[in-house]
Amino acid sequence: MSKNKPHLGMRAKSTISNTVIYVILVLMSIIWLTPFVCILLESFRIESTGRVGYIIPKQWGFDNYINLWTKTNFPIWFRNTFVIALAVAVLQTLIVLSVSYVLSRIRFNGRKLLMNTCLVLGMFPGFVTMIVLYKVLSGFGLTGANSVPGLILVYCASSGMGYYVSKGFFDTIPKSLDEAARVDGATRFQVFYKVIMPLSKPIVIYTILTAFMAPWGDFMFAKYISHGTEAGMNVAVGLQYWISSKTLISTNYTMFCAGGVCVALPVTILFMCLQKYYVEGVTGGAVKG
Amino acid sequence: MASVKLTNVKKIYDKKVVAVHDFNLDIKDKEFVVFVGPSGCGKSTTLRMIAGLEDISEGTVEIDGVVVNDLQPKDRDIAMVFQNYALYPHLTVFENMAFSLRLKKVPNDEVYKRVTEAAEVLGITEYLTRKPRALSGGQRQRVAIGRAMVRDSKVFLMDEPLSNLDAKLRNQMRAEIILLRKKINTTFIYVTHDQTEAMTLGDRIVIMKDGYIQQVGTPTEVFENPVNLFVAGFIGAPQMNTFRTELVRENGKYFVTPFGSKIEVDGETGRLLAEKNIDSRSVVLGVRPEHISLAKPGVNAIPCTITVNEMMGSELHIHAVTESGAQLVVRVPTLGLSKQERAGLVNGALIHVTFPGEVMHLFDPETERNLLY
Amino acid sequence: MKKLTDLEYLRLNTVQRLWYNIVQFFLGIPQWFVNLGKTIVSKVVAFFVGIKNEMVDIVTTFTKGSWKTKVSFLVMGFGNIARGQVMRGLLFLAFEAVFIVYMVTTGGYWLSKFRTLGDVPPGEVYNEILDTYVRVNGDDSFKILLYGLLTILFIIAFIYTWRLNVKQNRISEEILASGKKLKSGKDDLRSVLDDQFHKTLLALPITGIIVFTVIPIIFMILVAFTNYDGAHDGYSNLFTWIGWDNFNELISSSSSDANLSYTFGEILSWTLMWAFFATFTNYFLGMLVAILINKKGIKFKKLWRGILVLTIAVPQFVSLLYVSKLFDTNGVVNAMLLKFGIIDQAIRFWENTTTARILVIVVNIWVGIPYLMLVSTGILMNIPQDLYESSKIDGASVWQQYMKITLPYMLFVTGPYLLTQFIGNINNFNVIYLLTNGRPASPDLVTSGGSATTTDLLVTWLFNITTGATSNYKLAAVIAIMIFIVVAGLSLIVYNVIPSTRNEEDYS
Repeated sequence: MSKNKPHLGMRAKSTISNTVIYVILVLMSIIWLTPFVCILLESFRIESTGRVGYIIPKQWGFDNYINLWTKTNFPIWFRNTFVIALAVAVLQTLIVLSVSYVLSRIRFNGRKLLMNTCLVLGMFPGFVTMIVLYKVLSGFGLTGANSVPGLILVYCASSGMGYYVSKGFFDTIPKSLDEAARVDGATRFQVFYKVIMPLSKPIVIYTILTAFMAPWGDFMFAKYISHGTEAGMNVAVGLQYWISSKTLISTNYTMFCAGGVCVALPVTILFMCLQKYYVEGVTGGAVKG
Repeated sequence: MASVKLTNVKKIYDKKVVAVHDFNLDIKDKEFVVFVGPSGCGKSTTLRMIAGLEDISEGTVEIDGVVVNDLQPKDRDIAMVFQNYALYPHLTVFENMAFSLRLKKVPNDEVYKRVTEAAEVLGITEYLTRKPRALSGGQRQRVAIGRAMVRDSKVFLMDEPLSNLDAKLRNQMRAEIILLRKKINTTFIYVTHDQTEAMTLGDRIVIMKDGYIQQVGTPTEVFENPVNLFVAGFIGAPQMNTFRTELVRENGKYFVTPFGSKIEVDGETGRLLAEKNIDSRSVVLGVRPEHISLAKPGVNAIPCTITVNEMMGSELHIHAVTESGAQLVVRVPTLGLSKQERAGLVNGALIHVTFPGEVMHLFDPETERNLLY
Repeated sequence: MKKLTDLEYLRLNTVQRLWYNIVQFFLGIPQWFVNLGKTIVSKVVAFFVGIKNEMVDIVTTFTKGSWKTKVSFLVMGFGNIARGQVMRGLLFLAFEAVFIVYMVTTGGYWLSKFRTLGDVPPGEVYNEILDTYVRVNGDDSFKILLYGLLTILFIIAFIYTWRLNVKQNRISEEILASGKKLKSGKDDLRSVLDDQFHKTLLALPITGIIVFTVIPIIFMILVAFTNYDGAHDGYSNLFTWIGWDNFNELISSSSSDANLSYTFGEILSWTLMWAFFATFTNYFLGMLVAILINKKGIKFKKLWRGILVLTIAVPQFVSLLYVSKLFDTNGVVNAMLLKFGIIDQAIRFWENTTTARILVIVVNIWVGIPYLMLVSTGILMNIPQDLYESSKIDGASVWQQYMKITLPYMLFVTGPYLLTQFIGNINNFNVIYLLTNGRPASPDLVTSGGSATTTDLLVTWLFNITTGATSNYKLAAVIAIMIFIVVAGLSLIVYNVIPSTRNEEDYS
């Protein structure tokens, strides 16, 4: 450091830059959290069911929540989504783990072909399969009011194509473990459930978590399959329906907010509990591509 | 009873790359065979074909007279120790060693007995309840060996089991493997790239290069009668010295003439040369560093200058360069040297070396094959 | 410009190198196409050679085979049964029986109608008892197309199975000739959990993919060549093959509805623009946030991260719908701005193309940063610290460290991930649909095929014209194919360009 020029010391410099960073982070936190605080506040407003130009309710109460659970179809939507999410979490996890284990561990004829096919199929927008699937599903009576099993099928059937993240995880488990187990007398099946599965807890939880969360947010498939029948909607389609027109929004807006809170709370709590595994999956998966 | 027989075994990857060419070997019951060679020579591939971890492209592998080509590893009754130990991280040491027995549904008492016995032998009893990650490298290697021991299998395969250990531990484990072998007395196939391990452990050594077997023999055979330059250079440390020179036949006697000297080839080597009726020709002359000795200046002494002087304790490794620029290494035992003599062996000093006739190895410069074997 | 050797390349300065790389890239394009062509030709040749070899193999199997093998050519599985592999044989035989019964009873009908997609329109027949005309169903084009397709796939499956059956006979004969034993049914069952375990695990997932993705996609591709839409629904009004007409309508300006190709062009360019901004704003801002939080000396790292991660947990539709309403013309944001006198007239955020487009990108940043922050945090932590330490000793500033170490490392590691993000954004339905809810409408984008808004992506347009009043399935199919072409083209370029860039192995 030169003696002539007045120079900021290293410490002073870093204090300034840290202060700037703290300001940015606080601002960001406010921006990111505000909408959620707003929706929570608005859900307690009882002086008006429509939209008003302010956030903090003038009269507070649980009326919106009570109405939501007793007088509307929301319990049905919630149940639908919950059932779908549970089923998808189980089935999709089984399918995804099977496919990724095989692709990571076993070299068989057609492996490359299978992976390339999945890649190419993934380039078509998923929704176009609905043109024919809707007709076929409705032929089996699995649309409209009955759309829960139909949606489970749609979500799970092709989930084998989403093997990337968990394959990346399996690839990190040394191959010699499989070989040692096979020499020790294990069949491929025993290698799978006695050696690989116990080592794969993080990725299993990640897969279950993402599979469970996806149906709560799906709109496109759920809307098409339920086809305007309230009994077959999931929460996303149902709540969107409430605020989709001027007349509906004036009576349902605060209930929409309450519904949003009811959906977000359990999912968020579950997510925060298992956050560690989610972060591992996301970071690992991205690096592996 | 567990002999292993490999007949014309080949490994071809992707229909193009040949990793192992035509491998033929008969391994007798209770024999300790070592596959040795530089990396990529196909030794591990051959071992893995015996284990059933790689498909056999051509040829047959028999264990105890049964062709096992189409058998899964688990049906071959083999035990294997891997280079990186391959311990199951989620199981305790005890369960790691018991894994194969549990799969076979061996009664609990029997499992306990066998695992604790093996642990006793290997000195890992106190670690039985630990997970592998709480163990040091040497301990992990013992667990891996123990896991293979409890199997009581026909053949014991080891794939570079010591190469992840540091030098000191490696020497110690090597000694332990020799003891272990006496205790479990079964057929061993051991893969390594380290010629010292091969020499000390093997009943027979299989030296491989580029997928071809170079030589099969006892440690003494491959050391004393290497069939070609590769084997000669690979076995023994420091490496054998080799010089291009002339073999001269005069009146039924043979001489070599390295660097202007003239040394008679006598003893067994001379007798065999005469027996094979070999004429004067150019040869590659091989002499092991321990067979070269310091000499007084004279007709049979080669003058050279010391470039590097390695003090190994019990002996000196002297790297020297001759007047014509050829490199050579001499092993001089420190025991016989007087202080004065040792003081003369510094870098840049001129010394004279010589070697007796019966220790020479003679190779064809073209084919690199030994003229005699 | 001639190709430089590595040493010559090293003598260039940064600008020259960049220029050299760009020129080389474009000079390489013709060669790339030549190579592509060569690959295709060689693949095609290999395909026909393969078929020829199969044929030869079939013939030799027949001529050289025993009578058991010869009978198997007609009665599938006979050879297996005769040689003691009863279970395999019965499966083959059952498959053949099912195939024959299916083809005789219904398969033939669907196939025969497949060329026209039906020629009997629904009619009316006088019913004497009711004394009125009663509607009778004619052909159903949709069913003909679907079942025709299934029948064709079934035939292909049958040929494959038949070929398998022939091959098994040959292999069995070879095994028996070499004096070995054939696998018993018990062995087969055991191998299901062992050496054939991959087939066991893959059976269900692959069936799912074939039934719910492959067949629907083939069907959709076929639909693109028909006039299937709401007006030609297949049973009240038959639809049929019309060749490339749908593609011509969409692409060429000489189509019957000139607005259609214009609309398509507009939406395509906005889709790409959106995907570009959505991907890169998120990427760089997410990385920036991760770096800020990661900086040494910043406290409460877990808290800052936790706040952002919290927003990932809330289902997207809740936040998107709520934010969409916040920015409505009579939403809270406008109300606040009016109240504080910042504006004197409500801003119609969603009714104006420019504000709507900016807003979706901004909201997308809000939605996406937490996720990208997580991804980059993981990678940033993986950058070896000694790189930074050694660069500090070499005299690099913070900015230089970022440009020379962090960014290249990130780009290298996340290259493929960026591509998936880009493709994901091309198909990002939720953000656009839930935020804009079909606004801003534009008179320019009203077409006979189905109208669009100026924030519509190809995928939301696709959704709207499928679900909308016209149910324009044929157009939807064509758009889907277009999306595929765009995505596949991009992926091809990226995959071919990334590995060819220099210094690829530096970070591995």
